[in-house]
Amino acid sequence: MEGVLLPFRGNILKYEVTDVCDLLQAMCKGELIVKKVCRDWPKEAFGSGLVDECYYDEFEKNATTAAAKVFKVKDFAEGEVKLQEILKNLAAGKYDDKVLPTKEILAVGGEERPELKAIYDNLGKDYTVFTDKFDIAKHKASAEVGISVAEFCIAESGSIVVDNKSYEARVTSMLPYTNIVFVPAKYAVKDMSVACEIIGKVFKDGYCGFVTGPSRTADIERVLSLGVHGPNYLFIIAVEDMK
Amino acid sequence: MAERNIKEEIKAKLKDDVMQGALSKFAEQYPGSRLKSYEGQDIDALRNSFRDMKIDAVNHIEELADKFQASVEKRGGVFYRAKDGDEVKRILVEICRENNVHKVVKSKSMASEEIHMNECFTNNGIEVKETDLGEWMIAIAGHKPSHMVMPAIHLNRYQCAEMFTQELKEEVPGENIPYMIQKARETLREKFLAADMGVTGANFGIAENGAIGLVTNEGNARLVTTLPRIHVVLIGYEKLIPTVADAAKVLRLLPRNGTCQRMTSYMTMVDGPTPVIYEKNGEWVEEDRKQYVILMDNGRLEAAKDPIFKQVYQCVRCASCLNVCPIWTKVGGHVYGHIYSGGIGAVLTGLLNNGLDDFAKFSDLCIGCRTCVTVCPGKMPIPDIIDELRSRYIQKNGAPSMDGIFQSVMSDRSMMHTLLLKAASLTSAPFTNGKFIRHLPLFFANMTKGRSLPAIAPTPARDRMEALYRNNPKNPRYKVAYFSGCNMDFIFSDSSVNVVKVLQDAECSVVYPMEQSCCGKPILGVGDRETGRKIAKKNIEAFEKYDVDYIISACPTCTETLHETYKKLFANDPEWSRRAEAFCKKVREFSSFVAEQYKRMGRLTPTSGGEKVTYHDSCHIKRGLGISEEPRALLKAAKGVELVEMHNCDKCCGMAGSFGMKYQEVSIPMLEEKVKNIKDTGATTAVVACPACMMQIGGGLDKAETGIQTKHIADILAERIK
Repeated sequence: MEGVLLPFRGNILKYEVTDVCDLLQAMCKGELIVKKVCRDWPKEAFGSGLVDECYYDEFEKNATTAAAKVFKVKDFAEGEVKLQEILKNLAAGKYDDKVLPTKEILAVGGEERPELKAIYDNLGKDYTVFTDKFDIAKHKASAEVGISVAEFCIAESGSIVVDNKSYEARVTSMLPYTNIVFVPAKYAVKDMSVACEIIGKVFKDGYCGFVTGPSRTADIERVLSLGVHGPNYLFIIAVEDMK
Repeated sequence: MAERNIKEEIKAKLKDDVMQGALSKFAEQYPGSRLKSYEGQDIDALRNSFRDMKIDAVNHIEELADKFQASVEKRGGVFYRAKDGDEVKRILVEICRENNVHKVVKSKSMASEEIHMNECFTNNGIEVKETDLGEWMIAIAGHKPSHMVMPAIHLNRYQCAEMFTQELKEEVPGENIPYMIQKARETLREKFLAADMGVTGANFGIAENGAIGLVTNEGNARLVTTLPRIHVVLIGYEKLIPTVADAAKVLRLLPRNGTCQRMTSYMTMVDGPTPVIYEKNGEWVEEDRKQYVILMDNGRLEAAKDPIFKQVYQCVRCASCLNVCPIWTKVGGHVYGHIYSGGIGAVLTGLLNNGLDDFAKFSDLCIGCRTCVTVCPGKMPIPDIIDELRSRYIQKNGAPSMDGIFQSVMSDRSMMHTLLLKAASLTSAPFTNGKFIRHLPLFFANMTKGRSLPAIAPTPARDRMEALYRNNPKNPRYKVAYFSGCNMDFIFSDSSVNVVKVLQDAECSVVYPMEQSCCGKPILGVGDRETGRKIAKKNIEAFEKYDVDYIISACPTCTETLHETYKKLFANDPEWSRRAEAFCKKVREFSSFVAEQYKRMGRLTPTSGGEKVTYHDSCHIKRGLGISEEPRALLKAAKGVELVEMHNCDKCCGMAGSFGMKYQEVSIPMLEEKVKNIKDTGATTAVVACPACMMQIGGGLDKAETGIQTKHIADILAERIK
């Protein structure tokens, strides 16, 4: 099977295909397969009764304890306003009295979600926004902000579950000093056991995991210090009607 | 390597004020913070479910490994099994050659430390950079990690700054931690971006899909597995788990126990080769990253076959056993002299790397207090495994030379008392102050530094017993035999008389089998089971001659040995196994037995007001026998006594058998802490249910001239009998 696929690979680099059937199916449906652990988490992984918005408040509380800054918004329109506000605040030194440049932004998830693509397009008017994977790779060292998407939230730990099979998603969420993540507010689970049960249903290959607050260390005198390798800030925009 | 002098190393560490400050603060904060992170969780249920999963995993380890290998290979990863460190290094060098690797970044992996992995890179001209901040700092200074999770806990910010200064060739001020963090970010970011290859360990490896899990706070493992075009995983067999769902069992315990967090910042699962985009010959390309997985044995498979050692698979590498260890929190990790420190360090050192000889050098730093067992996520009985290792070591190398005299003294009671008395008459007579010896001349001087030693009783308890028989009740409820043990016989002879008095008052007739000997713990503790068996047989025979309902001991260590260890000693001897079983079943600890009788007699009703006393839980009674409420109930019911609790009432007093004598320098600070906690309660008496603690605490309170008395609980109870 791999042999058959190889010629295709060069042309469809943006997407990953695991076997010919997948590819044919996708082509028949007129869609291409996004490079993720799971193409449709709600449909293929969540099952019934495990995911419920009633767990959201606990998630928000624990995420905040883990030093994430969490904002709940109704829809993507409100989310966009919030995003713009965060970017302005960063530049204006509203967080920890530090003026943080926001010139270059890496942004992923637009291919899957037209609402996000629209937001990224709008951002492009005021900022330099990279959404192409090669552009992201080229600018990974200099970009100051990364915007990406998470699949669901965990109440017990305040974690977001990220499906980062693609290189660009990982780079976007790890290298810039500020990490902004959109997550569906209604997709929350009680604890890590449920989260792993869900992941177990679809995790056949790739890269996924939990993100809980920004990058931190306590290696010097056990003093909590943020941003040692990854982001110094994690902003979570939880969108109520996001699917 | 020159022969190590561990005692000198310990002395130096105890004088390291920076480390002492950091460790004592941490030891004080850790237990509470850990519990807070478990708020709302059933900790025991989480621990059981993790332990059961791991027990199942080790029982099917080959199967699990085959499945893991098949899963990795199916996804395109290259899989190796390595017998030992040398093989791992050969494989790594081969991978580097094949892929033209010049620069390597790694995220902290204990497995790589275990085999001194870095040398295979540096010896071949390959640059390797540790990216965990703590590991990176100490590597600059050429230190070894002092803790699995917090490698640089022994340093303060100024010492850290010196390392930055050395590495960055610029003055870095120690006051400014955020500046240091920023500098580390910039410096290490360059390394991440330039690296050809990333090496990680794994917190778990999932058999069903071949994924590995990495739990970090800094996120360095995420960068190591994202930026370089090659990813090498070094994973030990003990990290394998069956399914993704099982990962939760690890994840719900590891961060909470390790760093008191519900979850660390990053939990990353990497499954097979994942895409990477990089510049290849001037052109940006996207490819699947090359993934190599090395499954390392290095002693693990042999351990998996052993009924005792296989429990090491229940370790999740959270290091919580160090965080609560009364010895580790005093001496730090370096004196253990190996990669893995503390109790778990002793176990891993002994089992991995053919390290039984290394193990023996510091194995007696485990005092068997069992505090670690109470927090271990996998409920691993670390002290028991250490015990087993000691025994294997002795089997291999013979008992230490001093033990020749010790052995004959042990199995001959009259000889022991004669010797002790001789020593005492030579030494203690001119220096005795009441019941305690405050100063010993010449070579004994060290033993009385910081504590007074109790005087040897002029008449041992055994010689006072027969006179007590006349007080035995006419119609006893139970017939009991009293096992005194050495301390209660030779030193606290008066307390032994009180034990008998209390038992008689609780409607029991008491007999003292004269042929009883030492319980054997001191000799079993150093791993000499052969002599241990001889002593056990002697005791079993001595008690078989009397038809009693119970065998009572007022020393928890003896009780534990008689009740638990004797059974195990004769596992391969059906005849003695049966006799030991019958003996063990009858053994009861004094205070819990009396509490039961008092309750039956309606005498366990709490009273109020009176002299303030505080109760110290000995390690062996609380964690060995699980008895803590009963002695308290007795004290609350005792007239004219008010029980006040001390801070850390169940923390080891520092005696721990011969440890207190051998490692004075560690034992005394532990004692001083205990004395302070007792003083702070305002109590006039410290009550214990253990003669070893009584010796230590009594000595400490006397030496510090606190005026606070130390009593065995039998003394308190006997004083209240008319």
